Amino acid sequence: MVSDGMPLDAPSWENYQILLGSSLYRTIILRSFVVGISVGLLVVALAYPVAYFLVRTTSRWKGLLIAVTLSPLLASVIVRTYGWYVILNHDGALNGLLVAVGLADQPLRLLPSTPAIIVGLAHALLPYGVLSIMSSLNGMNPSMERAALSLGATRLRTFVRVTLPLTLPGVLGGFILAFSLAISAYATPAILGGPSTETMATMIRNLMIALLDWGLGSAMGVILLFSTLLLLLAGALVGGRRGAAAA
Amino acid sequence: MRQRDASWTALQVVVGLIFAFILGPILITAAVSFNGTVRSVFPPEGFSLQWWAETLSWRWLEPLLFSLKLATLAGLISTVAGTLLAFALVRRRFIGKAAVEMLVLGPLILPTLVTGIGLLQFLHAIGLGTWVGFWGLVIGHVIICLPFSIRTVAISLKTMPAAFELASASLGASPWTTLRRVTLPVISGGVFAGIAFSFVHSFTDVNLSLFLASPGERPVTVAILAFLEFGFAPTLAAISMISLFIPLLLMIVLQRFVPIGDFLYSDGRSGG
Repeated sequence: MVSDGMPLDAPSWENYQILLGSSLYRTIILRSFVVGISVGLLVVALAYPVAYFLVRTTSRWKGLLIAVTLSPLLASVIVRTYGWYVILNHDGALNGLLVAVGLADQPLRLLPSTPAIIVGLAHALLPYGVLSIMSSLNGMNPSMERAALSLGATRLRTFVRVTLPLTLPGVLGGFILAFSLAISAYATPAILGGPSTETMATMIRNLMIALLDWGLGSAMGVILLFSTLLLLLAGALVGGRRGAAAA
Repeated sequence: MRQRDASWTALQVVVGLIFAFILGPILITAAVSFNGTVRSVFPPEGFSLQWWAETLSWRWLEPLLFSLKLATLAGLISTVAGTLLAFALVRRRFIGKAAVEMLVLGPLILPTLVTGIGLLQFLHAIGLGTWVGFWGLVIGHVIICLPFSIRTVAISLKTMPAAFELASASLGASPWTTLRRVTLPVISGGVFAGIAFSFVHSFTDVNLSLFLASPGERPVTVAILAFLEFGFAPTLAAISMISLFIPLLLMIVLQRFVPIGDFLYSDGRSGG
């Protein structure tokens, strides 16, 4: 690592021209977005049933179940990703199972791959989605649902027309949180991915630490930052419009 | 209460499957750490405690102790600063309040990775490049932990009935006595939760530490990542489990004194 700092050159757009002009870097930026959006959708889809169950259950194990759901937050992303490596690698658990059952003749090449990164990140970030949706469900007046049911709506219709719209801010919040954490995550793409599945985060790390190209690394960092800000802004606009429509 | 019908049962099944998805990989990691072979395979081949024994070597104890020291310091500093900021943000109106709010709560949603590369270059630019390592990490971790401690203390402050302080004052207590004998004891839950959340956030951080660690001064997460370049020995599973137990233990202890849930998934509106 350098010890005496990098000289600050005159400001220029050169680094951005390099990043956005090269198809390699464009692919990496695009891949990060695909990962971020897929992880966000997966997290929200998996978190909603869990959050709904945890808020509405009357089980005496409720506290324990909530603790178990959130406990992955206490582990570093590395811990949460390690298990996926054991499951997905060439002679891993999944391949062993597939071959034993006869669904595959020989072990499949599951790593490194973008889908593996998406599944790993969705697993690691699921608790954030659950938290966000739980807090929305907790803030909702439960008599709304009872009113819809007593007026003759089916359970499904009650959910689609009443519960879901009322908790949409939590869903949106969970999506944004999962997206922004996913596109900036380093450990999971580093463990489950490889040179063929670089993301913005792994690229920044390589540029900054391995290649010592701080200018290019920082430019990529700024692109990462702006992607997150843009989404936040979009989220705020959607949220604001919804608020205005309700008023 | 209600909902003992088919749709509730279906939901229970779905949630059960998702729970298996949540816990599966972590249980598999736990199982792998007792593997009899040098390969990280599941189901484990044989049984051995050698990987756990290996985590007790200085090679792993050093980064583990480093992480403990770092997380403790970051938790304490960010909570002291966070408590002061929470008071200012909840109790006072001042010019630029929205800007301060954005500045201190921003790191919650902004990529920590960008904070890391920013801080790395800032330290070099102001001639403190030698701080990269422990002190650089402390600064960075305080920045990323602040939103957590501010949030927990602010929730405590908002949910405390204003009448408490008024009663104390009307009974003749000075503002200082009111703060010390009334306000601080009431919000102590939020303060302790703030320390604990910050500790956990610092202890599990990868994205910031990646850039501010130096070869001799690195937290356990960075040490694990560096080791991964050589492959997946079951030692990593064992050290991963240890780095999970420490925050888990802290939360179990905290749960005995503070209702953690209030700070995690309350909608922030209750009582205030």
